[in-house]
Amino acid sequence: MSFITCRGLTFSYSPESRVVINGIDLEIEKGSYTAVLGHNGCGKSTLAKLMCGILLPTGGSVCVGGIDTADAERAYEVRRKCGMVFQNPDNQLVASIVEDDVAFAPENLGLPRGEIRRRVDEALATVDMSGYAKHSANKLSGGQKQRVAIAGVLAMGPECIIFDEATAMLDPTGRQEINAAMKRLNREMGLTVITITHYMSEAVEADRIIVMDHGAVAADGSPREIFSQVEKLKAISLSVPQVTELMYEMELDGFAMPRGILHAMEAADEIEKRAGGGKK
Amino acid sequence: MLKDVTFGQYYPGDSFLHRADARIKIIILIIYLVIALAAQSALAVALSAAFTLYLAVASHIKLRLLLKSVKPLIFVLVFTGIINLFFTAGSGEPLLQWKFITIYREGIRNAVIMLIRLVSLVLGSAVLISYTTNPIDLTDAIESLLSPLKKIKVPVHEFAMMMSIALKFIPTLIEETNKIISAQKARCADFESGNVFRRIKSLVPVLVPLFVSAIRRAEELADAMECRCYRGGEGRTKLKEMKTRPADWIFLLAAAAMCACVIFLNRVPVKEVFEFWKGMF
Repeated sequence: MSFITCRGLTFSYSPESRVVINGIDLEIEKGSYTAVLGHNGCGKSTLAKLMCGILLPTGGSVCVGGIDTADAERAYEVRRKCGMVFQNPDNQLVASIVEDDVAFAPENLGLPRGEIRRRVDEALATVDMSGYAKHSANKLSGGQKQRVAIAGVLAMGPECIIFDEATAMLDPTGRQEINAAMKRLNREMGLTVITITHYMSEAVEADRIIVMDHGAVAADGSPREIFSQVEKLKAISLSVPQVTELMYEMELDGFAMPRGILHAMEAADEIEKRAGGGKK
Repeated sequence: MLKDVTFGQYYPGDSFLHRADARIKIIILIIYLVIALAAQSALAVALSAAFTLYLAVASHIKLRLLLKSVKPLIFVLVFTGIINLFFTAGSGEPLLQWKFITIYREGIRNAVIMLIRLVSLVLGSAVLISYTTNPIDLTDAIESLLSPLKKIKVPVHEFAMMMSIALKFIPTLIEETNKIISAQKARCADFESGNVFRRIKSLVPVLVPLFVSAIRRAEELADAMECRCYRGGEGRTKLKEMKTRPADWIFLLAAAAMCACVIFLNRVPVKEVFEFWKGMF
C-alpha cells in the first residue's frame, strides 16, 4: 500500500521563478526505506518539504496517508504523520534543555501531561539518549543533537520520517549513529524512512533509490539496479559507491565484471573467482 | 571577547532558589529591585546588602561565577564611584582639600551606597533569575504572569516563545560571531587598533554575515517548528506544570517584609534605632 503518492507534481517558489519540481509521479510504500539522490539544486529538499506539507504544490497533488496536503483543514494531520529531520542540528532544536525540546511536538498537539511524559521518555530511549534528558542541548555533539532532533520528531508519533541531508554536517561517528538510528526505525519500528543524501554509502543501505535531476525523477529502482547504470549517473554528475566504481573501471579495462556490485566483500569474491581461485 | 556574557546562562543545581517557582521569583525580583534602589540610610543599605549576600549564598553558585557577572561592570562601578566621591557637595567641613579636589563625608557615603546598590542589582538579578532559572521555566512564568493581557489581544504566547528561542540561540550566535571574527582576522581584518569609531566601523564586516546567517537560521527553525505541528499558543499543553509550594509563598512574604523594613529604616535615623534597641532591654 502506498503511503505517499505524488501525482503530476509541479512546484515553483514564485510564478516568475524557475520550476523546481517538474511533473513528478511517485509512490512511496508504507514501511519502505528509500534514498533520494541528486546533485545540489535538483529539487530534493523541495520535494521533501512538499511531502510533509510545509510547501504546497503549485500543480498536481501530494497525498500522505490518504490526505491531500492541500487540504488546509487537515494540514496538521499531514505534518503529524510525516515528520522531518533537517540538516543543521542547531537550527531545528527549539528549547535549550533536551527533554523540553523533545516535548515540543506533543505539547503542540495538546496532549495531556502524562502522555507527553511517556512519549518523551520513549522517544529518548529509542535514540539512546535517555541519560541526557536534563542536559543542555547546546553542549551535545552534532550526532547527539541530531538524535535529539529525531526523538523530537518521534515524540509526535509519525508514520514516516524524512531525513533532509541529516548527516551532511556530522563527523563520521555522528553519521554512523544517525544511519544506525534510521535503519532501526525502519526495520524494528516499521516506520517509512526517506533519506535525502549525498553519501552513496548511505544510499546503498536503502531498499530503493530515487535519482532526481532538474526537478524530475531520472532513475528509480533498487540500489543494485541504480548503481549498474554508472554512465547514466555520471552524466548527471553523481558518483557511485567506491566499490562499484572499481568494478566499473575494471570492466572498462577488459575484465568481464558483473554490474551493480555494492559491497567490498562481494567485489572481493568476484575478483577471486576470476583470478582462478588462486592460493587459499 | 564574548566569553564573559553571563546573561541567560543557566547553571543547573538543586538549591532552594533553583526549586522555587519562577513566577514567584519574578515577583521577588521586582521587590528586590525596589529594595536595592530605595535603600538610602545606612541601616537600610546594610539590610539590602545582607539580603543580596543571603541570596548569593543560598543559590550555591560558585564565587567565580558570581564575580563573572559583576566583571563587565567594573568600568561603570569605578566611574560612578569616582563621580560620587568627588562631586558630592557636603554641608560640613571637607575631609580633604587638595588643589581642585574636595572630598566631603557625604561623598564617601554616596560612593559606598552607590557601589553596594549597583553590585546588588547585578548580582541579585543574576542569582535570582539567570543563574538559577531554567530559561523554559522563565518564559513559561512570564507567559503565565502576563496571561491576563491576552484578553486585550496582547500576543503573550508569541512574546514568550520569541524570548525562549532568543535565549536558546545566544550561545550559538556567540560561537558564530567568534568564528566570523576569526575568519575576518585570517584575512587581515584589524579589530584592535584605531580609535573607537574605527573599531566600531571594523565590526561591520562581522555584523553583516552574522545577520545573514541569523535570518537563514530563523527560516530553517520556522520550517522545523511547523513540521512539528507548531500553531501558536492555542490548545497547547505543557510537559512541566508550574507549582507554587508553601515555601515559595513564605519566600515572597519574607521579601515583602524586607521591603517594608527598608522603607521604614529609610525614614528613621540610625540613632533612634539604637535608642529603640536599648529601650527593648
